[in-house]
Amino acid sequence: MQQDTPADIQNRLPLLAGFIVLFAVVLFFRLWYLQVVKGASYQELAENNRIRPIKLRPPRGIIYDRNGKPMVENVLTFDVSLVPEDATSLEGTITKLSSIVRMKPEAIKQALDDAEDVRGKYEPVKIVEEAPWDEVALVEARQEDLPGVIIEPEHRRHYPYGGMASHQFGYIGKVTQTQKKYEQADTGMLVGQGGLEKTYDKLLRGTAGRRMIQVNASGKKVKDLGIDEPKPGTDIFLTIDLDVQRAAEDALGTRAGAVVAMDPNSGEVLALVSHPTYDPNLFPRGISPRDWVKLSNDPSHPLYNRAVQSVYPPGSTFKIVVSLAGLDSGKIDPKDTVTCTGSLRTGRKVFRCWKKGGHGVVNFHKALVESCDVYFYTMGDRMGFDHVAEYARKLGLGSKTDIVLADEKPGLIPTAAWKRERVREPWYPADNFMNSIGQGFVLVSPIQAAQMIGAVANGGVFYRPQLLRKTRNRETGTEKVYDSVEKRRTVFDAAALAEVRSALLGVTSESGGTAHGAATPLATVAGKTGTAQVIAQKTPGGKLTESTQDHAWFIGYAPADAPKIAVAVVVEHGGHGGAAAAPVAKKVIEEYLRDAGTKTAQ
Amino acid sequence: MLERRLLSNVPWGMVALIIGIALIGLSAVYSATYTPSGPSSLFTKQVIWVCLGIMVMFAALIPDYHTVGRYAYVVYALSIFFLILVALIGRTGMGAQRWLPLGPFAFQPSELAKLSLVLALARYFAEDPRRGGYELRDLLIPGGMVLVPLVLVMKQPDLGTALMLMFTTTLIVILAGIKFRSVMAVIVLGAVVASAVFLVPPVRHKIWTSLKPYQQKRIKAFINPASDPLGSGYHATQAKIAVGSGQTTGKGFRKGTQSQMAFLPERHTDFIFAVIAEERGFLGASFLIVLYMVLLLVGVDAAKSAKDKMGTLMAGGIVSMLSLYVFINTGMAVGLLPVVGVPLPLVSYGGTSIITTFLAIGLLLNIRSRRFMLFY
Repeated sequence: MQQDTPADIQNRLPLLAGFIVLFAVVLFFRLWYLQVVKGASYQELAENNRIRPIKLRPPRGIIYDRNGKPMVENVLTFDVSLVPEDATSLEGTITKLSSIVRMKPEAIKQALDDAEDVRGKYEPVKIVEEAPWDEVALVEARQEDLPGVIIEPEHRRHYPYGGMASHQFGYIGKVTQTQKKYEQADTGMLVGQGGLEKTYDKLLRGTAGRRMIQVNASGKKVKDLGIDEPKPGTDIFLTIDLDVQRAAEDALGTRAGAVVAMDPNSGEVLALVSHPTYDPNLFPRGISPRDWVKLSNDPSHPLYNRAVQSVYPPGSTFKIVVSLAGLDSGKIDPKDTVTCTGSLRTGRKVFRCWKKGGHGVVNFHKALVESCDVYFYTMGDRMGFDHVAEYARKLGLGSKTDIVLADEKPGLIPTAAWKRERVREPWYPADNFMNSIGQGFVLVSPIQAAQMIGAVANGGVFYRPQLLRKTRNRETGTEKVYDSVEKRRTVFDAAALAEVRSALLGVTSESGGTAHGAATPLATVAGKTGTAQVIAQKTPGGKLTESTQDHAWFIGYAPADAPKIAVAVVVEHGGHGGAAAAPVAKKVIEEYLRDAGTKTAQ
Repeated sequence: MLERRLLSNVPWGMVALIIGIALIGLSAVYSATYTPSGPSSLFTKQVIWVCLGIMVMFAALIPDYHTVGRYAYVVYALSIFFLILVALIGRTGMGAQRWLPLGPFAFQPSELAKLSLVLALARYFAEDPRRGGYELRDLLIPGGMVLVPLVLVMKQPDLGTALMLMFTTTLIVILAGIKFRSVMAVIVLGAVVASAVFLVPPVRHKIWTSLKPYQQKRIKAFINPASDPLGSGYHATQAKIAVGSGQTTGKGFRKGTQSQMAFLPERHTDFIFAVIAEERGFLGASFLIVLYMVLLLVGVDAAKSAKDKMGTLMAGGIVSMLSLYVFINTGMAVGLLPVVGVPLPLVSYGGTSIITTFLAIGLLLNIRSRRFMLFY
């Protein structure tokens, strides 16, 4: 190997050494200048003129309905907070403050102790949230006297309609420790904890700003250094129509249940109701433990979004599925007749029709219009329930609709294989009977029912139920419109569909139809009632208490010839579908169609 | 036999100096990361990193540095591979994509890239038989060698590392020898590019808008700190207040109001020197500067006493890189240089930085220890 002398390189090394020494000397003098010459004045800056960043929380995005009416807003409130480090005498400040805000000094100390572990140095501790005006004014006036006490403006979430549509909005609350990691949020920040507030939290949240102030040794503001304005969250426009939502809420009244209304031509959700409701205004400033226990232990489960999280036996509304399964595949001829004597016997068991005296001789049309159980026992048994189950799945039952709300339940469409595995029993003919009239194992959620009847109305197109219509950046005005998403298209035999639709129209209009309560002079309504038994057997002669009363269903669409709205209504323990649920659907349909000519969504 | 001779040639004074600096660093990290509920887990991690680093340093003594030189290109290629990997799957932090997740830890390939570039350049120039200085066109290959990691690092974006790569290369080229007229050519070229950037509005605009907003703010704030007292000017101002208020003797361990009160951002990483200056005062800060100066000068001596071109260039390159680290970081903390993210070697918190620094210093010791040996 060549051993060349590195002499010429080594001759240049003093250059590097010189560079090192030179910079060290420069640094030395700089330190001397800063620390020795100017040290005292920097000391003063550090001690007396402290720069304090004050976090400015952004207002969350406003939630509007499809016509631009605000459904969730913010109101400006003022909090009284304390920066313990700035209080010259903490005891003194606490005593004076307690007389102004009408709190015991111990309560203020408790608030400070609670915050001690989580807050950073010089981070204010909230003493009174949403302080009343007189207290704010007093604190401002006596600022000199209250070192360390500050007034913090906050945009507080406000739900002007209280419990209305509360299950869509969810609620907001302080970010939890585990969320902090993933949501890039800081301590004390309010983030969506459920519903749309959670789903679109990143959009709604906005970006925090800060104000820099210089304070003196006693924490008093000396100078405003400037403000880095917070960026408000993005406003969102829902597909919900406030008026339709309100009509549905009012029609349901105090009864427990759910209503879903959709535009069958786009999947846009026009109204989504779950009763009982809760007031989301309880949450933004931290719900009290008592209120929380009350809400979560309430036997009527007000926090539950029944429209997507509850599944019910569909009752006779399921006969639509059996009808399509028969007519589309040709296994039922609409001219076939069944004689209903009021019951059907198989083996040792007797299955009753809801009409004691029987319907007599019924063909398909009459059977669906009058909801004859014996006809559907017979047809369901003839086809076998696995065949019906196949159509149920084609109609979107048994799987989630993928609406953006959390914890949607898929419901249940049983098959013989499922029963063998889960119940460890074979599939009996009785299972064909019961499931064909929507009893037994079948479970459907209100949103699924609305999607299904919408697909019957539009001829087999399945849309993802849509809640977000558009977003708008408040600062730039830029809008982003969200188009409807078509999930799939199922082609049904046109004659079969026409046959089913004609019977559904008959339900509200022909004599013997079960849902005259849904009929309206504004448009033709097509639909189907359902009365789902809560318990299989009633004690003979025993009076039904409310909790054992049947669930009432109505699903339908209008106008029958050119559908604009599809509705699903469940009234828990409401009794008969035609009496309890159909009138609710009527109110919803009327509200939407009444304005449909004048009020087209922009 | 050989082992014992090597051991007796290890400059133990230099080793003591290195460990001394690292201990000062640990105490500063302890103070800067201290939380109300006790020492931070970051401190524990840093202790582990320093212990590992010391082991790496001694391990780097074992192979002959020529062997290291033989693998220089392989290591270089590997570091480029990691840089590409980080661009594809890296973890993002603070607006830049710099980290590769590695179990519970994260590895920062740009740190390795700096050292591997020094080694690769040292080998390139050591094997080049040319004498009497380089022309510009002779620098095409080394230019390419620096350009690849430079572009990848810029993409992250990591302006600090990019500058480090550029400056380190410049120093190595100067050491390797460059013709006077090439230097002039570079200066003229630089002047032309700079004037194009500053005087031709469309070009200036294009370059300016290609920077991230935080980078724009930093440059603006360096030119006029008052322009942005809240943002990056805030960092610089707070650092200066911290350093200045330390005065002659400092406020004492864990008594630095600026750093303890969290006014000082990045206080355990890029601004650790400000913490030391605040708590240990002028005496402590200048003592640390003297320690660094002695360490770097001993490094220069190692380069001078090396027996061959490879050793000289490798040692010279490592010393150049470390000097730049030290002076850019401290210069930034005292407001002499703009705020760029460059760690203070052996002191700043950060696993990859600690390990690669100890590795680099281990190689320096390696060259120093073999100054009396003959190679065949």
